[in-house]
Amino acid sequence: MAIFTLATKDLRLLLRDPRSAVILLLTPLLLILVLGLALGEGFVEKPDDRLRISIVNLDKGLPAKVTFPEKPWADVVIDDLSATENIRLEIINDRAEAERLVARGRRPAVIVFEPDFSDRMQRCSFLTHADPPPINPLGRDGVRLEELGATLLTDKTQPVSASIIEQVTQVTLLRVVIPWMIGKAFQRVGDAQFMADVAQRLNKVKPIPPPVLEELDPVVQKLLIALTNDPRFQAILLKEFREAKGSNVVDATRDALVIAKRKDQFQIAVHKAFQDREILERLGKDMSFGEVLTPSVRREIGPRVKSGVGDLFSNYNFEAKTWAGLVKSNAREANEANRVEYRNTSGTGILNRGALRYQVLVPSYTVMFSFFLVLSVGWLFVAERKHGTLVRLRAAPLTRAQILLGKLLPCLVVSLVQGFFLLVAGRLIFGMTWGSRPELLIPLVICTSFSAVGLSILVASIARTETQVAVYGTLIVLVLGGVSGSLMPRDLMPEQMKRISLITPHAWALDAYSQLLASPNPDVSAVLLSCGVLLAFGVVFTVIAWWRMDLD
Amino acid sequence: MPEPILEITDLRKRYGDIAAVDGVSLTVEAGEVFGLLGPNGAGKTTLLSIAAGLLPADGGSVKLFGQPFTRDSRELRHLVGLGTQDLSIYPELTGRENLRFFGKLYGLSGKELRSRVDEVLTAVGLTDRANDRASHYSGGMKRRLNLAAAIVHGPKLLFLDEPTTGVDPQSRNHIFEQVKALNAAGLTVIYTSHYMEEVQTLCRQIAILDNGKLLACNTLPNLLKCLDTTVRVTVTNAPPGFAEKLGAIPGVKRVKASDGTFELTVDEIGPVLAKVASDCVAAGAELTDVTTTEPTLERVFLNLTGRGLRD
Repeated sequence: MAIFTLATKDLRLLLRDPRSAVILLLTPLLLILVLGLALGEGFVEKPDDRLRISIVNLDKGLPAKVTFPEKPWADVVIDDLSATENIRLEIINDRAEAERLVARGRRPAVIVFEPDFSDRMQRCSFLTHADPPPINPLGRDGVRLEELGATLLTDKTQPVSASIIEQVTQVTLLRVVIPWMIGKAFQRVGDAQFMADVAQRLNKVKPIPPPVLEELDPVVQKLLIALTNDPRFQAILLKEFREAKGSNVVDATRDALVIAKRKDQFQIAVHKAFQDREILERLGKDMSFGEVLTPSVRREIGPRVKSGVGDLFSNYNFEAKTWAGLVKSNAREANEANRVEYRNTSGTGILNRGALRYQVLVPSYTVMFSFFLVLSVGWLFVAERKHGTLVRLRAAPLTRAQILLGKLLPCLVVSLVQGFFLLVAGRLIFGMTWGSRPELLIPLVICTSFSAVGLSILVASIARTETQVAVYGTLIVLVLGGVSGSLMPRDLMPEQMKRISLITPHAWALDAYSQLLASPNPDVSAVLLSCGVLLAFGVVFTVIAWWRMDLD
Repeated sequence: MPEPILEITDLRKRYGDIAAVDGVSLTVEAGEVFGLLGPNGAGKTTLLSIAAGLLPADGGSVKLFGQPFTRDSRELRHLVGLGTQDLSIYPELTGRENLRFFGKLYGLSGKELRSRVDEVLTAVGLTDRANDRASHYSGGMKRRLNLAAAIVHGPKLLFLDEPTTGVDPQSRNHIFEQVKALNAAGLTVIYTSHYMEEVQTLCRQIAILDNGKLLACNTLPNLLKCLDTTVRVTVTNAPPGFAEKLGAIPGVKRVKASDGTFELTVDEIGPVLAKVASDCVAAGAELTDVTTTEPTLERVFLNLTGRGLRD
């Protein structure tokens, strides 16, 4: 009962002390407000040296089912980008949002894959004519984006950054477009249409010059010898002679035997004829090269032409349609983790309500200013001495424990009110969210308050005057705030400093707040561990204060 | 024989080399106002602090209502009220809130608390300002509230440590009257002061303390008895043997003569002075100057300590 009497009295005194309200409630709100307005989006972004490539993907996909590629061309390009070292991808869902970001200078450039990107990519070809009409995307400076159905939104005030992003985009597109076009083109080498075109062109080449026919002599000789030596040919010859009109059996047989017996001389005669320029000129006069490329010949030659070219450039696979296939290397795996969806983190309205920075600012200043309780509590103890009322408390039938607990209790209440007030104000005024596990904020606020009250009582046990309270209190709070990362996002601190900062209760509280307010799937065990450590801090502080506190 | 409420025996307290209380023994009886007189630094507040259970003694003992009283004696504290030398009130609470708080600390609640608070507010004349914050009170009003806080729980023994220091005459009278009224109602009061007249007016027994030692402890008349009452007369044309004649006056204990000046040590000034005047006329001598000296507490103190109370 006496504890509650003491606590009620101290609560009343705290409520009537405007300093406490200013320090514990108003100051953190004002700081959050000022910093929320003054700081940019980058305040809370994790440091990342990789180049950010922002993309708007409006690609409607492939016009029909095809064997290649297996996914829309925009996805193929995005996969290639995501596999690129030192690049991180940001997917923006809305073109208007992208234009706004570029217009405000928050992105130097954004690549937009237009709805017909896949359609146009599919039509890319080295061919002049095709159905549908082919697209040649290659130009003087690389890939002509407009031909591909891609647009690069650029901020004219950031030409260097925009240029870097454009070059990265160009390289990736070349890596995708070139093998696709080469693969498609090489498919055509040696096919029927290709060979027919060749034959058609050769048909126009006549007469066949004598040297060409002369070169054919061995082939003719070879054919002639084989033919005249073939018994079946001799039978066919005899039959033709006998059945010829006006022929008789004896003459026909005799003539056939003459040829059979004179075939050597016949071959020599033919050979000589192929050496005779006059004869050859007459022979070639009405003949063209194309006549040699009969359909069967073309079918034989076509694939061999293709494989011949392939053998000639054996370091490459011209039939492949991907870069890895073309250069015969291992394919680069797309990195799904290397892409994030863009979220508008800058907030809205004059206060930038809902901005991501408030998810860091509000807990940071809630934690830091919870420890400013040292001033209020210190002044409360000093006032008790200064006003002589501590003597009256000691004269009253109270134990030391009752007096100290009577002081602890209102301080804890004030700290809890402060913690919850700032979180509620953060939500109502600054539009921050309480994360996916808001119920866990309750134990966190309680444990942080307990730790802050412990430290406050400890300072009160050391400081004897208002000045000492102000000096010790402010020094401790600011130093701990700085070390812990309350004054700046903890994510911006070097790893070693982060580890060192765990000697402060602030750091544990901030880590837990970070889990609850910044992570979509908070690690509950990490939050509970932080709560436990905060309680331990509170117990240690209180025990030392209990031991040190001199009420005489 | 009234029962002793407070018995202090051979009490000792040192602060380093300084003996703040040096073997003090005294007894305070029920229903009296006990004066503790001494200059600043005499050890009054230290003695009071030990007696009130605020400080541990280095030696000796304190008995309250016949029971040993130490810092850990919680129950006995209900019987003790402490009016501190410095103010012991919360400036940011109203007078009523201050009294309610201190009353609650001693276990009062409900109607009893309300009536006690109203009672003491009336007693110290602060009813009209009961709902004002104490920080808005005058110095005297704060002193009265300080006294009220000491008695709100209805103690049997009240320690008042220089309650009128820095107080305006009106408040001083209030406090004075309140102490008298409380004493009349049966409250035993231990009153420390360095104002002789306060102690002289209020206290039946007075203890004189200096440098931590108890120099005297007795009723006022008994203390005054230690000193002589003198009548100093200057006479011209005094006949021979006039000194002997004066010495024969009833009530005159001694006569010291020197160049027409006679210093008579007497029991009572009035009758002796009348007889001296008639003897002068009868002897044809002319009485040119008369000076009387009566024993006072101031003189007692000077006599005991060799210095004035406010030196």
